[in-house]
This record gives sequence, C-alpha cells and structure tokens, in this order.
Amino acid sequence: MHITMVKKIKHDGSPCRKCAEVEQRLQESGLLNRIDQILIADERDPQSEGMLLAKQHQVELAPFFIVEDEDGSVRIYTVYFRFIKEVLNSQTSAQEEAAEILDNNPDLDFI
Amino acid sequence: MDIQEFDCIALAKEYDSRHPGEILKLALESFDNLAISFSGAEDVVLVDMAVKLKADVQVFSLDTGRLHAETYRLLEQVREHYKLRLEILYPDANALEKLVREKGLFSFYKDTHKECCGIRKVMPLRRKLNTLDAWVTGQRKDQSPDTRAAVPVVEEDAAFSSADHRLIKFNPLSNWSSAQVWQYIRDNDVPFNELHNKGFVSIGCEPCSRAILPNQHEREGRWWWEEATRKECGLHAANLDNDK
Repeated sequence: MHITMVKKIKHDGSPCRKCAEVEQRLQESGLLNRIDQILIADERDPQSEGMLLAKQHQVELAPFFIVEDEDGSVRIYTVYFRFIKEVLNSQTSAQEEAAEILDNNPDLDFI
Repeated sequence: MDIQEFDCIALAKEYDSRHPGEILKLALESFDNLAISFSGAEDVVLVDMAVKLKADVQVFSLDTGRLHAETYRLLEQVREHYKLRLEILYPDANALEKLVREKGLFSFYKDTHKECCGIRKVMPLRRKLNTLDAWVTGQRKDQSPDTRAAVPVVEEDAAFSSADHRLIKFNPLSNWSSAQVWQYIRDNDVPFNELHNKGFVSIGCEPCSRAILPNQHEREGRWWWEEATRKECGLHAANLDNDK
C-alpha cells in the first residue's frame, strides 16, 4: 500500500488551516510515518503536483489522501476520520468527526 | 421502496421545478422511516405542508441548549397547533461538559463555531439520522451567498451516509426564495418565530444569531465575526481548469 497526502497552499501563499490541523493530528497520534509522501496543491500554480492530482481524481477538498493498493486499485479519501478508520485502522472521537462533517458541509450550518 | 434503488439524480432533475409540496409528497410516499428536521425558524412551512399530507409525520428538533426563548415557545406552539409528537434531541452531556470545562461557554467567538456546533448539533443529528432512511430539511439555495450553490431537491446524503447505511436527503424548499416562504406563511396562517418580528431572518442559537438591517444578506445575521464566504477546504475549480 502506498499513501499520498495532498495538502493545500492558498492563493495568498498561506497554508490551508485544515491541512495543517490534519497533519498535526497525524503527527501527534504517531501516524504520520504511515504516510509515504506529502504533496502540495498550490492554488497559485495549477501545475503543482497536488493540483494535477486533484484534477485527475476530481477532488475539490483539501487535504485529501490517495491510497494505492498492491493490486493497482486506488482509493481517494477527502474525509479524514474515514481515512483514519478504514486505512490506518485507527479511531477518532465522535466530537472530531462531527467537527469535520461540519467543516466539509457548510450547508449544515442552517439545520 | 428499496432504498438502494432510489434514483436521486434522476428524481432531482425531474422534481427540480416542482412545488415543495410535491417534493414532500414524493418523500413521504417513498419512505416510511423518514423525519423532518425543524429548526424553529422559517422551515415551519415544511411541517405545515407535511402534516397536511401525513398527520403523524415524524418531526424532530435539535435543542442545543442555547436557543432563544422565542424559539422554545415556537416549538411548543407547533407541537400543540399540529398535534405533533415533536421529538427534541439533545447534545451528549459528556462531550458538552468537556467542551465547556475546557473552553468556556463562548468558545465559538474565539475559535469559530465549528466545534460547538459539532457537539450541540451535528452529533445529536448524526445519532438521529443513523436510525432513518430519509430526512427532510428546510435548506434553500439563497440562504448563503457561497455554500448553497448546489442544493438538489433530493440527494444521497454524502455527509451522513456510510458504507452500510444509505441516507436520502430531501430539500423541498431549495428553489424557493425567502419571499415565497413568507408568502406561504401568510397565506396559510402558519405559526412563526416571534424573532422574525424583531428583525431576525436566519435563526439559530442565541449567541450566534442577530437581527439584520434591510438588504443585508441573512447570512450576516449568523456568525458575523467569521468570514461569511470562507470556504478554505475547497480546491477551487477555476484553478483546476486553468491549465486546459
């Protein structure tokens, strides 16, 4: 299995807040070394590796994870807690999952 | 109906220009295990429409513990007016106590509303949705200048579906404007939140909602200390298309 994390640099050159949070959580939980490579999707550069991968896999959220299995199949994860559970066999709290659901679905603000 | 066979994409297209009542009828006829989410605001029109189609329709509300007194009064008024068994959902006490112990009662002013809303709204909502096949919301395209570009009238709920639980979400008011909602409220003598008489348009928790001025977008009455159109997690399509 080969795991790629793609994190974003915003238009103004600053790092994406959520990407930094996710990377920090991976670091703190000792899971960062399970990520084989980290690539940058630089919004200022459509040719950056991360932007090209986002386009290739039709991903519109950052960060995202590309999981390539030995049989050649590829899975894309844009939801961190699902990636953690299904790929790294680790757990996140219900609280963390709820916050991420809201982060990824701003329309839930109005429920 | 077999939920796996429910073709959201085709039905969203077919029903996109239909009256909300017709979309609700489709929802109620397609799913027995369905509930309406009622926030205590303008979405009361959904309750009014649904009760006329199915008197014992399931309706639930999320009591975050921080709602306005006016909203609690409306919930009771609606319960009595429509003779509903209105289900009130509450946050997990342990998670909430931990948040307040560690960050106080107004953490959202410092580090955005996401964590607080996650505990007070999303967690109880998720718990409820895990028991349903379908739910109905009052979401409309015009509610937010940025996040509502696409609100299909029916969709597979990407946020709350899982590998072993497909959840269908109906948004019958998606294409209605606020003016159309209010026309319906007036025409049908629907009970409404007193806060609307005080300049509130979008109503949520008391610390996070405020009255707005004429011509302000309703989103300006919610989380006004945060950037309204912030969508930081998006990889913007324009950029992805730049190299075509």
